[in-house]
Amino acid sequence: MTAFPRLRRQRLSPLARREALRGYLFIAPWLIGFGLFVVGPMIATLAFTFTNVNLAQEEPLRFVGLENYGRLLGDTQAWAALGVTIKFGLLAIPVGLIVPLSLALLLNSRHLRGSGLFRILFFMPYVVPFVAGIFIWGQMLNSESGWINELLRVVGISEPPNWLNDPLWVYPSLVILGIWGIGSGIIVNLAGLGGIPTEYYDAARVDGAGFWAQLHHVTLPLLTPVIFYSLVLSIVGVLQYFLVPLVLNNGTGEPGGSTLFYNLYLYKQFFTFQNMSYGATLAWALFALSLLLTVLLFRTSRRWVYYAGDRS
Amino acid sequence: MIQVFRPLVALAVVALVAGSCGGTASPSPSPNPSGGASPSSAASATPGEVVEVRWFCCLGGGDATEQVEVEKAVADAFNASHPNIHLTFEAVAYAGARDALSTQIASGNGPDIVGPVGIGGAEAFHGQWLDLQPYIDKTGYDMKQFPESTVALYNVGGEGQVGIPFAVYPSALFYKADLFKEAGLKEPPHAWGGKYTMPDGTLVDWDYATAREIGMRLTVDKNGKDATQEGFDPTNIVQWGFEPQRDDVRQVGAYWKAGQLAGGADGKTVQIPEAWAAAWKWFYAGMWTDHFAMTGPTFQSTDFNPSDYPFFTGNVAMSQNYLWSTYGVGDSGNDWNLAATPSYQGQTTAAFNADTFRILKGTKHPEAAFEVLTYLLGDGSAELLKTYGGMPARPDKQDAFFEALGADFPQKVDWQVAKEGVNYADVPNFESYMPAYNESLDLLITFGTKWQATKGLDLDAEIADLKVQLQAIWDKQ
Amino acid sequence: MTPTDRRAPLSLRSFAVTFAVVVILALFLSPLVRSALTSLKTPAQLGEIGAPLLPSTPRAFSWQGEEYEVYLVPIDGVERELALVEPGRTKSEFIDPANPEAGPIVWQGSWRTLPRAWELAPAWSNYADVWDLIDFPRLLFNTIVIAIIGTIGTILSCTLVAYGFARFRFPGRSLLFTLLIATIFLPEAVTLIPTYTIYVKLGWVGTWLPLLVPTFFANAFDVFLLRQYFLTIPRDLDEAAAIDGAGPIRTLRSVLLPQAWPALIAVSIFHFVYSWNDFFGPLIYLSTKPELQTVAVGLARFNTIHYRNPAYIQAGTIMTLVIPVLLFLVFQRFFVRGIVITGVEK
Repeated sequence: MTAFPRLRRQRLSPLARREALRGYLFIAPWLIGFGLFVVGPMIATLAFTFTNVNLAQEEPLRFVGLENYGRLLGDTQAWAALGVTIKFGLLAIPVGLIVPLSLALLLNSRHLRGSGLFRILFFMPYVVPFVAGIFIWGQMLNSESGWINELLRVVGISEPPNWLNDPLWVYPSLVILGIWGIGSGIIVNLAGLGGIPTEYYDAARVDGAGFWAQLHHVTLPLLTPVIFYSLVLSIVGVLQYFLVPLVLNNGTGEPGGSTLFYNLYLYKQFFTFQNMSYGATLAWALFALSLLLTVLLFRTSRRWVYYAGDRS
Repeated sequence: MIQVFRPLVALAVVALVAGSCGGTASPSPSPNPSGGASPSSAASATPGEVVEVRWFCCLGGGDATEQVEVEKAVADAFNASHPNIHLTFEAVAYAGARDALSTQIASGNGPDIVGPVGIGGAEAFHGQWLDLQPYIDKTGYDMKQFPESTVALYNVGGEGQVGIPFAVYPSALFYKADLFKEAGLKEPPHAWGGKYTMPDGTLVDWDYATAREIGMRLTVDKNGKDATQEGFDPTNIVQWGFEPQRDDVRQVGAYWKAGQLAGGADGKTVQIPEAWAAAWKWFYAGMWTDHFAMTGPTFQSTDFNPSDYPFFTGNVAMSQNYLWSTYGVGDSGNDWNLAATPSYQGQTTAAFNADTFRILKGTKHPEAAFEVLTYLLGDGSAELLKTYGGMPARPDKQDAFFEALGADFPQKVDWQVAKEGVNYADVPNFESYMPAYNESLDLLITFGTKWQATKGLDLDAEIADLKVQLQAIWDKQ
Repeated sequence: MTPTDRRAPLSLRSFAVTFAVVVILALFLSPLVRSALTSLKTPAQLGEIGAPLLPSTPRAFSWQGEEYEVYLVPIDGVERELALVEPGRTKSEFIDPANPEAGPIVWQGSWRTLPRAWELAPAWSNYADVWDLIDFPRLLFNTIVIAIIGTIGTILSCTLVAYGFARFRFPGRSLLFTLLIATIFLPEAVTLIPTYTIYVKLGWVGTWLPLLVPTFFANAFDVFLLRQYFLTIPRDLDEAAAIDGAGPIRTLRSVLLPQAWPALIAVSIFHFVYSWNDFFGPLIYLSTKPELQTVAVGLARFNTIHYRNPAYIQAGTIMTLVIPVLLFLVFQRFFVRGIVITGVEK
């Protein structure tokens, strides 16, 4: 216990000490696992960043200090990749929050018949193996034979977008591609909606609140913990996004570098070009950035997230 | 903090170094074969001790269920006849094989033998292959049984003899005779460097200009108009005239003339062979202006191209491809045959693929591994070649191979074209080494994808851009 | 909120809402429909240009050892089904399948403009083929076992850890929690090699242990979700139980868990699906033992071998869907039931 910095200067009362001890006991599984399986590799990869490791190792292994970090700062491709990630995030994160929530609300509606069946059907695509899903949607978005463009042609649009190859349309394509992943978002939101006591709705209705007012004053505030969870996960998803562009475009970052996401660039450096040290450097930079974001998110979350059962 | 840091760095570093090519921890910058083999190899020569050799598969094929059965059987047969060596066979799906191998090597758990692997697949791990020459010399292995060009293939880039020829795949022009008949055209020449008779009776060279003309006549839209006619509808093509082997932009060029991107005295100056630039422009026009080749999006669609090679659908009249594509060519119908690929400036080149087994430099038992290797190339080769569909590198075994292959098809295929195709192989091979191989290949793929997917590009500018970007990568090395 | 309890009376509104959901669902699932249709076609069908949506083969006529395709040819104003024998650019020769001996019928025009005769031919055998080719039973068994054990481990460990973070105050809590969340951000590809090295040294490579053991040490995603959920549960019942003398474990079991069912189900489903589709882990740890591999690896291997047959790929994909979907079918009733917190008498 003394290894962790005290947040308060005064000594803990026996009751508080007991609570703290219990707290540590309960989180012990994670602490142990973290120590065994995470810390070691993390430190090892940090060590990589200060050396010149690559798979072929044609030069002798040596300590290079901050050379890799210097290379990172001057690497225009890495910065461009970060920009790609951010640009995509600006589109993907709002969609990733709003769509599952809206669908969950819809599926939770009193007016819906057969909601049980619909839940299953909306969830089903989430279970499709990721790579297979990319393949399937890739075909749907094909500018020649894909159903989306066929539909658009039927409706009268003679030159439908070249979804995957046009820098203008590629981000919406990727968002569409990811749409099957909302199954998990729907579940999480449904779980959250399920936890809102009905009394609040009854009370609101007694006060004369209609659907939108109920949404605004009851549902959303009480759903904020779940929304926060979804927000953090969406950001993680965007920062770690790489499998889709890897499979879809062979990792080339086409069209025109617009799909060269930061994590894809990292993966390529690490596995394709086998520059392990530089890859580890990129990863640690990403990690540092993510840490910063996490702290920021959690700090600001106190303003807008309402926890019914939180004493602090 | 420093005290904690150093041992951890050491631990991480040792794990890596132990796994990567042997000898790098030593001061000598260039690993030398006899010294580079890790010291434990001396220990492995202890008689009576069973040596473990690991055979890693599927960096380039061999992961089909039937093939795995055969490979396992070959390994078992080896074990039965070699009591002092235990060979274990490991098949990893092609999709993850490269990452898995990288991980294994980096963590010190690398295999001994890798294969079957092609030239390009092996280049991804450039610098990590064992020079076999000392073992060839020691055991007196007969290299003269292979054609000189196939041996030379594995002795480039200053790494020594890193492979021994096993399976070769020459190229040819696959074509559908019925489609020519329907269009009232003569079939392309089977004789390499031969001439072609046009519909009006004139005799011309079978070169890429002719191929373009014929290809356009064989490109038909759903109304029956071909690409040379007025009113041709490029958005509704039902049959294409010519399909180049577009897997790799280098080989698109290699089918015109052998060449290399790595030029200059030090091999670090980018040179775009003039023939390759011409080939790329011809291909680009073929997709977007002349329409005899499928555009990128069409090629990507499983509705038009379900099996990776459009020729298999039967909707393509001519297709350049390697001999290994016979696995699927039968789907196109019973009228396909082989012809010579078109010539360029009076010369014909048919790009070449070759597979073999290689030994990793980091192997702890190079002698045992070499013994396994010679077995795979010798006693085990008949079964393995059959299941891989590979033409034996040994000329005396080739007739039997073609007889067995021909039994799969009802029509009489002119295999002589393929046999002679070996003589028109591209040397230097298009897959040979260039600096920063993986990164360079990545860039080439990027450009190839772009050209196939975007119309209206100025290809001269694109090629100039490629040169600049590639040089930038090589300069960083 | 249990929709079944509060079902509103049938009205125009319910019709509108249901209709809207159906339309959205149709668009959402359309690729699966395409996938299913593709899975019932043969490669020959797939390569046919102009084929109808449903799996169909062009009608063919065999004669003298050759197959000829049948077209609908207008001859003298009457549309007849004829087999195309000699195609040509400006004229073609046909024979009548009903009367082949009569000799060729010549027709002027471009045969490509003629409609073809199609017959419905779904290739149900594709599924049987894939079942055999992919050794489905064994892979299925492996995957189910790994998924179930992993889910148990996840639920056990994540519940405990989330409880600790949600209900107890201790020094460094927010720091540790931030660290937990931060680990979500570290890309897997990076720690892979040192982690793999550890497993090699432990001798766990080639077994299921690298996939199963870490699940008993909690993972950030599910701890995060459960912690968020626990925080939404008011402490009133906790305090009541404490007054009654219940220890922390008892409180967890009898107070929190019953109220947290939806989140626990969610975590189970997430982990199960994640484990079901996990590809890279099983690939590198089980590469030497195909008999221990999972469906995801089997499917990927299958896809690279059979890429020339998209029908097989789609059939394989759909087959791997079935179990997780069935599971969700069973568990989703718990969502419907939900938990109604009636509140505590004050």
